[in-house]
Amino acid sequence: MSRVIPRSLIKNLRLIVGERYVAESRTAAELYSYDGSLAKGAPGAVVFPGDTAETAAVIREATRAGVPFVPRGFGTNLSGGTVLPYSGLTVCLTRLNRILGIYPDRRTAVVQPGVTNLELQNALAPLGFFYAPDPASQRVATLGGNIGENSGGPRCLRYGVTTNHVIGIQAILADGQILCLGSSAYDHPGYDLRGLVIGSEGTLAVVTEVTVRILPIPEKVITQLAVYNDIADAARSVAGIIAAGIVPSTLEMMDARIIQAVEDSYTCGYPRDAAAVLIIEVEGPAVGLEEQARSIRAICMANNCREIRDAATAAERNRLWEGRRGAFGAVARLAPNYLVNDCTVPRTLLPDALAEVARIVKAHGFIHGNVFHAGDGNLHPLLLFDSRDADQLKRVHEAGWEIMKACVALGGTISGEHGIGREKMEAMRLVFSDDDIDAQRSLKNAFDPSNVVNPGKIFPDTSKPFAFKDQAAWSGPDDMLTPAERIMAEQVNQALSTGQALVPGGSGSLIGFGNLSTGSEQPLNTDTLSAVIDLDPSNQYITVGAGMPLGDIQKALFPHNQWIPLRPSFDLLRRTIGGITATAACGPERFFYGAPRELLLGLRFIDGRGRLINAGGKVVKNVAGFDVTRLLAGSAGTLGLITRVTMRTATCPQRCAAISAIGTLDACASLATSVLRSRLGAVFAAAVPETVGTLWRLHLGFEGFEETVNSQLSQAGALFSGSGFGSERSENYDVLCGPFAGIFKAIAVHPYILRVGTPPDHVVKAAQIITGQWPQIKVLVDFGCGRIVAGIDQMGGDFWKELVRIIHELEGHVVLEKAPDEFKRFNDVFGVPLPEWNLMHRVKAAIDPKNLFAPGRMPGRV
Amino acid sequence: MSISAYYDAIAQCNKCGFCQVACPIFRSTGNESGVARGRLAILRALIEDRLQWSRELEDPLYDCLLCGACTSNCFPAIPTSDLLIKARSEYLDTIGRKSIHRLLFDKILPYPKRLHLAARAVALGKNSGVSKLAGALGLLRIFGHDFARAERIIDRFPVHPLRKSFRPGVYQGQGRNLRVAYFVGCGVDTISQSAGEATLSLLMRFSSAVHILDNNCCGLPAWSYGDIAASRKLAERNLPLMDGDRFDVIVTDCSSCAAFIKKYPLLFTDNDSCTERARDVASKTRDVSEWLAAEAVPSSAALKGKRVTFHDPCHASRGQKIVKQPRDLLKQIPGAEFVEMPEADWCCGGAGAYALSHFDLAMQVLDRKMENLGKTKADILVTTCPACITQLSFGVRRHGMDVKVKHLTEVIQS
Repeated sequence: MSRVIPRSLIKNLRLIVGERYVAESRTAAELYSYDGSLAKGAPGAVVFPGDTAETAAVIREATRAGVPFVPRGFGTNLSGGTVLPYSGLTVCLTRLNRILGIYPDRRTAVVQPGVTNLELQNALAPLGFFYAPDPASQRVATLGGNIGENSGGPRCLRYGVTTNHVIGIQAILADGQILCLGSSAYDHPGYDLRGLVIGSEGTLAVVTEVTVRILPIPEKVITQLAVYNDIADAARSVAGIIAAGIVPSTLEMMDARIIQAVEDSYTCGYPRDAAAVLIIEVEGPAVGLEEQARSIRAICMANNCREIRDAATAAERNRLWEGRRGAFGAVARLAPNYLVNDCTVPRTLLPDALAEVARIVKAHGFIHGNVFHAGDGNLHPLLLFDSRDADQLKRVHEAGWEIMKACVALGGTISGEHGIGREKMEAMRLVFSDDDIDAQRSLKNAFDPSNVVNPGKIFPDTSKPFAFKDQAAWSGPDDMLTPAERIMAEQVNQALSTGQALVPGGSGSLIGFGNLSTGSEQPLNTDTLSAVIDLDPSNQYITVGAGMPLGDIQKALFPHNQWIPLRPSFDLLRRTIGGITATAACGPERFFYGAPRELLLGLRFIDGRGRLINAGGKVVKNVAGFDVTRLLAGSAGTLGLITRVTMRTATCPQRCAAISAIGTLDACASLATSVLRSRLGAVFAAAVPETVGTLWRLHLGFEGFEETVNSQLSQAGALFSGSGFGSERSENYDVLCGPFAGIFKAIAVHPYILRVGTPPDHVVKAAQIITGQWPQIKVLVDFGCGRIVAGIDQMGGDFWKELVRIIHELEGHVVLEKAPDEFKRFNDVFGVPLPEWNLMHRVKAAIDPKNLFAPGRMPGRV
Repeated sequence: MSISAYYDAIAQCNKCGFCQVACPIFRSTGNESGVARGRLAILRALIEDRLQWSRELEDPLYDCLLCGACTSNCFPAIPTSDLLIKARSEYLDTIGRKSIHRLLFDKILPYPKRLHLAARAVALGKNSGVSKLAGALGLLRIFGHDFARAERIIDRFPVHPLRKSFRPGVYQGQGRNLRVAYFVGCGVDTISQSAGEATLSLLMRFSSAVHILDNNCCGLPAWSYGDIAASRKLAERNLPLMDGDRFDVIVTDCSSCAAFIKKYPLLFTDNDSCTERARDVASKTRDVSEWLAAEAVPSSAALKGKRVTFHDPCHASRGQKIVKQPRDLLKQIPGAEFVEMPEADWCCGGAGAYALSHFDLAMQVLDRKMENLGKTKADILVTTCPACITQLSFGVRRHGMDVKVKHLTEVIQS
């Protein structure tokens, strides 16, 4: 192995971090030549920076010397992402191991990347909070690694994965520039670059600080262990539970081999003679929870469950989880090594996937154990072998490959949470076309033009023919192209040849969004893309043409008692799903259900080269390649034309009701803050001015099971009465329209629509500034999301600049969602230029090199 | 025996990395060289010829505390500490022992009188402020290059050993008909003498005869260093003092000695003449907290209004699986309130003479312990190993805490 780190670089690194924090001995190279996977590769040197500034300096020097580097935490990666395929520098971030702050009123925590997931959980628990992603390896998995892989964990079935909970990152680019992408204020103007970096496996930037969302620990948890004599019955129970519309917080499965290995290690309470067990947890407000647990029990028993029992004590619950979390380690009792696959399949197909896996493993002469996130359809077959035997090593990789193919054939993907790294690069071609991969590679190039940030990962060599093309279940986008998509692609290609700029548009609400256009764009209407392509209620997703109005989608879902939990502020049901995605439109319920980015599973778009590019898929966990889906969400049509969207659906709540009362803005803010950091489970907390005086009406919304909502309303009522508010009133509201359609309609008629985002604890100050300037304003103050939406009649350029400055000082941002052309001629509607906008323009150029789509609309133009 | 004989055990590490969370050294350094996974990777690389024996290996092999926490967090329970001892042994065979260690293990520790003399020289030097005297004798270098800084860990070195006041021999007791041998560890003999006095007084109250042994070092330091021959020699000298049916039980108030004496049978091969005696001695050996709990010894002390907490010596909790006994004893002390310390079974960084050779690392480990101690708001910190007492006492002084560090026997026998 050649070790070619220039001496001058070593010297500079020592100057930056100190002599003792640079290691280059043969022993050090050996120690950093592995991670939790089977991949190997020794670095030329290892450097341990102590803070952000040192890390940035180290990276700048490495790039300047042309030496590739890989960021690394505790090195437990399961796809070879933290070892170098050739000599380079390992940047070990274990010294960045401090929790920098926990802010209950903001419901955020700020941590360094070397903090382990469990350390964060342990620091939050005494304050009554938790951080939702909980990879089974949480004891040794660092937050930096969680971000690299977009980690999931058992609980992500209900709460989503890392990208749904990391709201800001401090990232260092290859040239050493330190950028803050996102923060505790939601929805920064510009692309969601944070969403792109999360899950990029350390190939785009090095993360040195993380802002995460923290949630109040639920009032009650019920943990059940269901025991089966046949693994297929367990798999059928999983599908049954999800199809019944119950969302457990976790739904984990273990098979006989794992059960025995774990029980040999220590007593966790799994029956040794079972063929499979499920660990099922429901959590939330205490009222109504037992009912959910009962329904689950009934579904399991109907699927030949042998026995189902509750964990009676916290200790018993912990034991059940200790076993689950230790399963990967426990199989070391059976064989020195394991190869773990983390394919994801639609959960209704779990029985088929398990049977396929068993067949493949047997055919290759191995034994295996299954321990996995069944609720997400995220398999983890552990193939047991001994890496000291070269033949076994070869065969086990072949088996792994066959398993990936089989799962893709079932409509799944190649990696749910462990990443592509080095081990699954070629398998990327099973799920992505060469164009898709090329688009992703161009993003890498925009971030890292000299290809030094963890190179040699994720991307297969598409210049070579794909040996398994004919065997791949999915043979590229063409065969699934709808006629409307084909016509759209032709239109784009035509525009490309003439250089005619285009503006994608659906219902029309996007026209006029953003900065002033160059004036000569041709509208590209998505009307024809308005069909339901795939509706799968049991797996809870829907794929539709981008031009389909939200109202039509909800109508299609209603017979299945499902909906997409989105209520965009303006034009609500008339908005197309493409437009909603492109503008990241959502209302105050975003606090509970998330923005469109949280609900998106995949999408297809036509890029600036006229190619159809696929991103994501239809399974809830998918970390294959870059998260291009997140990048497109909120890109406002500047990266291409979205042609279809796959979103996860949810069971319709039995009841939606808000309780409201009148008080001062300060009183509203203080009550909202205490409700939102409590276990009450509010869907939103937002205030609008009362018609008289300086009083506001605070609305608290609750949605879900009738019984639960009733109890939440009465608890919230008691809080109002104790806080000096006027008499409260409760009202049911429509599930699709929500309670704020009226106020948004009133805001929308104004020539200016202002949207302010701040950290939740600063939203009152921002609201005071705005209502001070415009006393009679139509406005909604959303405490959950730290957001203000207001309709304004007059806005001077000077005041705009002043407002931008003040909000910036409050750690927030302000955007004009709507403004007259005259105003836009002299002002940037996205406010002050942010340092990351340069990078954003490079990203735009990578996907749309000819600046074909909505030129001029981007932030930072004026 | 070469470590390649243990290839299967070493290859069992599938690099899950769970040891990283349990290893006090890794938590301090964040460096893969300081954790079981990394050390096992080095051993595997040596066997598979990717690495050669060299001085480069000294740190990864020797900066392990041998606390065993990795094994407790390892699903296949790979005995990394034991494997490291074998590796250290092979390292010494290949690279060579330092002359200073030869002096310690071959010339001093086997002879209690010489140990006493050496301790006295150190004590005189330290207590009179002329450490140079001891330095001149080369004694300070015994423990390694950090000793000059680490010397302040020991507050005060008694001039005379415990066994000068309590000469080896038989002492009449007032208790039930029980013949007890008291094994005096080097730490109790030369530093933690008040613990030894309390232990002796308890032994005499609750047995009919106490024999203070004229034992030498139990052999653990040599074993830990990887000098297995030297540790076997030390054990061989101790066995004749304890074997046969002269005693009903052998008690020591050093958890490290107790754990190691229980391990004596492993030092000898099956056909060795010592094996049977080693088994006999091991089976009769009791950590003092085991003995106190078994004898249901009541506390004569009253600690009214005091908060008491317990630090598990690695050689008690993991070495002998003794966890419950000392806590039960403390909970019975009238007036005392027992509080559990977070991470009570984490190594304190003392680890025998570890702190003397790896001062900075030991201090990082100690600081974490002191942070946890602070959370208990305890008045008294109790443990059962003199090396821990020395290290923890230094920690309390270093952090300016108002906490007394005591041996279990000292708080029970006031």
